[in-house]
Amino acid sequence: MKEKTASDPLMDPDNYAELKSRPGYSGSVFGARIFSIFLWTLFVGNLFILLISMNDLPDWSNGIFLFNGFSLLIWLTVSFFSAVTSSYALNYLHGFTGHSRFNWLSLGFTASVMLLVVSDHIIPFLLSWLLMGVFMAGLIGVNSKWGEARQAAGYAQRIFLAGSVLLALGILLPAFKLNMFTVTGLIAATEELPYYIAFTSAVCIITAAIIQSAIYPFHRWLLSAMTAPTPASALMHAGFVNGSGIILAIFSTMIIASDTLNILFIIGGLTAVISQFTKLLQVNVKQKLACSTIAQMGFMIMQCGLGFFNAAVVHLILHGFYKAYLFLSAGEEVKYSSPSAPLIIRIKPVQAVMVSIFSIAGAFLFALVTGKGMTLDSGIFLTLIVAITVGQATYNIVKQRILSNTQKLYIPVLIFVMGIGIYALIYNGVTYLMAGMPMVNVPLSLSWIQIGFGIIFLAGFFMMKLGAYRNVSWLYVKLMNASQPYKKSVLMYKSRSL
Amino acid sequence: MNSQHLNNSINEVSRAIGRTWPLYSFVTSNPLSGYEKSAFGEALEKAGKLLKANILPDVSLFRQAWESGDINNEALIDNLAENGFFESPELCLELFENHSKKEIENEYHQVDLIMAKWLAAFMDEGLAEWQMPGRKKGFYKAWRDLARYDNDFNVSRTSDIPETSAQAIEESLHGFSRDEYSRIFMSHLAALPGWTGYIKHRVEANTSWQQNFPISLQDYLGVRFWICKHLNLQILPLDLKTSGNRRIAEMQLIWLKTWEQTWQKTLVQTLKKSNSSKTKQKKKPDAQLVFCIDTRSELIRRHVEAAGNYETYGYAGFFGIAMDYTDLKDGMLRKSCPPIVESAYKVSEIPQKNRETDALQLQKKNQVSGFQDYFLTRMKNMLPSAFGYVEGTGVLYGVSMLARTLTPGFLYRKSSGRRFQQESLCETDMIKNSTNRGLQMISLEEKAGIVRSAFNLMGWKEFAPLVVFAGHGSHTANNAFGSSLDCGACAASPGRNNARMIAKLANLKEVRELLAAEYNILIPGNTVFVGAEHNTTTDEIELFDAQVPESHFEQLENLKKNLRRARETATRDRLRTKDKGVQLSDIKANNWSETRPEWGLAKNAGFIIGPRELTKNSNLDSRCFLHSYNWESDKEGTALEGIMQGPMVVTQWINNHYYFSSVDNEVFGGDSKITHNITGRFGVVKGNGGDLKMGLPLQSLNKTDTEMYHQPLRLSVLIQAPEKRISDILLRNENLKQLLDNEWIYLLVMDPTEENRVKRYSRNMDWQPVIEKAEVNAAKSTISEMELVN
Ligand SMILES: [Zn+2]
Repeated sequence: MKEKTASDPLMDPDNYAELKSRPGYSGSVFGARIFSIFLWTLFVGNLFILLISMNDLPDWSNGIFLFNGFSLLIWLTVSFFSAVTSSYALNYLHGFTGHSRFNWLSLGFTASVMLLVVSDHIIPFLLSWLLMGVFMAGLIGVNSKWGEARQAAGYAQRIFLAGSVLLALGILLPAFKLNMFTVTGLIAATEELPYYIAFTSAVCIITAAIIQSAIYPFHRWLLSAMTAPTPASALMHAGFVNGSGIILAIFSTMIIASDTLNILFIIGGLTAVISQFTKLLQVNVKQKLACSTIAQMGFMIMQCGLGFFNAAVVHLILHGFYKAYLFLSAGEEVKYSSPSAPLIIRIKPVQAVMVSIFSIAGAFLFALVTGKGMTLDSGIFLTLIVAITVGQATYNIVKQRILSNTQKLYIPVLIFVMGIGIYALIYNGVTYLMAGMPMVNVPLSLSWIQIGFGIIFLAGFFMMKLGAYRNVSWLYVKLMNASQPYKKSVLMYKSRSL
Repeated sequence: MNSQHLNNSINEVSRAIGRTWPLYSFVTSNPLSGYEKSAFGEALEKAGKLLKANILPDVSLFRQAWESGDINNEALIDNLAENGFFESPELCLELFENHSKKEIENEYHQVDLIMAKWLAAFMDEGLAEWQMPGRKKGFYKAWRDLARYDNDFNVSRTSDIPETSAQAIEESLHGFSRDEYSRIFMSHLAALPGWTGYIKHRVEANTSWQQNFPISLQDYLGVRFWICKHLNLQILPLDLKTSGNRRIAEMQLIWLKTWEQTWQKTLVQTLKKSNSSKTKQKKKPDAQLVFCIDTRSELIRRHVEAAGNYETYGYAGFFGIAMDYTDLKDGMLRKSCPPIVESAYKVSEIPQKNRETDALQLQKKNQVSGFQDYFLTRMKNMLPSAFGYVEGTGVLYGVSMLARTLTPGFLYRKSSGRRFQQESLCETDMIKNSTNRGLQMISLEEKAGIVRSAFNLMGWKEFAPLVVFAGHGSHTANNAFGSSLDCGACAASPGRNNARMIAKLANLKEVRELLAAEYNILIPGNTVFVGAEHNTTTDEIELFDAQVPESHFEQLENLKKNLRRARETATRDRLRTKDKGVQLSDIKANNWSETRPEWGLAKNAGFIIGPRELTKNSNLDSRCFLHSYNWESDKEGTALEGIMQGPMVVTQWINNHYYFSSVDNEVFGGDSKITHNITGRFGVVKGNGGDLKMGLPLQSLNKTDTEMYHQPLRLSVLIQAPEKRISDILLRNENLKQLLDNEWIYLLVMDPTEENRVKRYSRNMDWQPVIEKAEVNAAKSTISEMELVN
């Protein structure tokens, strides 16, 4: 660790004297360093525990708290994101009057996520869910002198509170019915619940989950959350919005018992498609990223709806890396350019054959290394996504003039073998860590809904490819308005000298 | 009102609004340039009222300056009393405190919101893949076609909306008197000054975006008025109450003036002190280096001079070549000379002799990387590959995130080999910027003229074996405001290509022959000119030496070694560190979380036009622009006139930009970077959206949210030349005199024919001494005491 940190001037203790002499140095920098060092230590500690317990995963519980492979996985993930954003914030927020407030809120948020995944008793469980929202809303409004930020924070807070109430309902209802107050107890006993309770409870939990993930129609808080400083947004998109994946994975038995998987699949699917289109028309970087997050969360919920809660957890982690990176580099989007007409693409028959062959090869590789899609079940859907992705990659490569024919042949193979290989590694690792959890990897039989969405995705793919949406004016305006931030969080105030 | 008349009156009114420049070529200009014909104080009052902005420094800045002695207490009390104010400074500050800005609700919230939404969508420069439909028809018509789907207001048929913006305006103005028109126009243009400023920019620059998707202020007003009417909002604003108290404003202006006078006195004393300790006998320099007049050059020049037997010069960083430059990388044409100058030439890259294949290779590489960008965007945007893409590449993003967070300096050093490939394989090539193809060749006289005027303006005497022209550019990561740190004299582009071009011209044998024959400028045969770039973030000076002849290799190596030493001491000095300056500066150049990679032109307050001897022995703390000038070799004053017409005006723009960005960072500046949200690939909005930001961000001006770094002072130009010569120039140039008379800048003259006494210009050619005789003597005596101690 020493070697890595040494080149970060702020992490290097030898540099401290110099830091102090920099213009604008204040005591808060010292405080921020402590936070950062603490979080890195936490991450390295988690990594260490993971490595030594690889062959013998922890599985401990005392009725109030528990610690298992899944807890460890989430601890590792969240401490990584917190550590990275805290290092980033150390420089980025230098001189910001709310810097130490930011640190405390981030730390509080990290602690609440960690508490959530080690809570067995429902009281700490619900409390930590509530606190996650409180801290995140705090981060949205961390600049308390800014009226619009206060508005955005208040708006988010109200929605998060509603989510917490719903989650409490969804858990307390079966808890009192069964007289059972631990999460593990509840999820093991869902079979005993009368259907109407299981159903009501599942719907409450699902709603709480999709509120947090900013799924339609609860997406607006996320589009209004850019009042948070950039590192807070990174933390939000990597660690907060995907809370739904965690909670759905934990309550998978409840979802299955109540037969609500299809609800998840449909809500997720619709959100994924609509948001992906909405993303195309965004003109602000952060809003564009937010729409992309909503679409990705939609996809994650779909994966849950297919019965692959483990795949959803993998997605939330990988998406976290992806989106945190894009937020942290959101200042790179300024570019001098001139208008260009969208490319019209024609593909030759030979190229089409190549695309098909590579798609099938990609799908086969994916099925081989993840075990999905080998039989006729909901796994086919995910395999189809992989096949289309590989197809699209190949397609974009083979029609490029600047690449040589050999390059056109080996680059797609290289890309898809590497992509699928890395994915499979993570997927199998996560599945292994989640092995102790009931029903997180339950392929469903292939249904018409799934086939329907398969067709919708394909249609969406062709619509995008052909650019057919471009001139549909009413859709443009509807999607634009649907993706506007909360009104009072923009241009609500002016200042005036007296 | 006919449409021509309407257009005229809108244009007339729009002068009150500044011009918002795109961030990819962030020109620091005076946001109040439309007011330069009025006196500073008067302009401030008008603009402040209109834009609801602070126009004088905030009380906290005054307090900091007063407490640190940057505002001299005695002088302040005197100045206040002279103007009939007998309040103590403490009391003044308390009064100011009570009049600082407050947050109130925006009465035009609804319409501002709708306008900002449509303006951002229409003016997007390629961020959105799905562009606003119908943009080709222009803003008003495109909006009109879509309005009926917008549920922010109810309109069922497109035909309910007037067909043209002129009609919409006319309908809305019905019932108002002519006198009220301009008040109405003014207040609605000023409601979103960032966006309307960008419309102005597009119209004035006639960018390719504007040509394809036209928008005008008239369109803006048409849409806005119609929406106001539809939402039952009053379009005639309530009478703008005299915001601010005139008495307070007057007092604040006195504070500002005292602050400026205090700085002027310090400057003059520093120069006197520097001058009194005469430099030792000179020997011929090993190399001469020409830097931009930029304030940042002052620091590096000091350190270069200390590192060896070198002479340095200051010259406007476009090196007198009014050119546009086409980068090989993206093929885009960029302006690379001051915005006030028309570009006469087009410069592009051609392969160096015998490097054709390598150059071709490089071009191929650029294309591949362009394809990569395209490929990634495609994968991220398309359904459903976006989902597969995230799963396949997530880990790579995680690893890069870790690397960029923990090892920015290491990554920067690793990429150093790739940074100037183009410059080592290609050379610049110049043609005339004219539409007539036949006239593209440039005559020898013209080429020689460019070289000649450089040496003329700088008062050059003799040539060293190596003469380096160093443009400057800034290297930063993840910085939307990157171009604001590049060369102001090159329209916010790095000046290295101008430097390479002038070096190439000066190396031409036929140019030298002509200079010798016609102008008696004798460039020795063994003098070689080299282009270079001063990287202002790291203080590295990269020499573009691929074509330097072997005979100069040793001298070149020596120079490089010493420039590395200069870098070490310069970064140490600038970053206030003992021995890690180089390392720290590498990190700053590539750290994606760095909001203050360097300070740019912050702290600028003076512009010194004179020979280097004047400033050589003093540390001016990067607060002064320096232009080399020798009054003795410019008998006619034409060189000086050129400097005053060109560089002086550019420095005034820069200075005023910094001033206004500091006094009201929310309105004239960019606000804090930490919640910036890039819009349309050309600008930023704050948080969730709203008005486009038009100036420098808080982090370029302040050490912290509350502690200032840049001091908002008007520029003090100091020229070493006979007073008479300057007076004559002012008489010939009414616009320059106007700037001075209206107090947008100060002019000080150091008259060498009168023992270098310094006098300050005041209204109508009145010259006042800056320092009383007694003070000069006092200053001298403290210096001699110091010398004794030494
Ligand atoms: Zn410059």
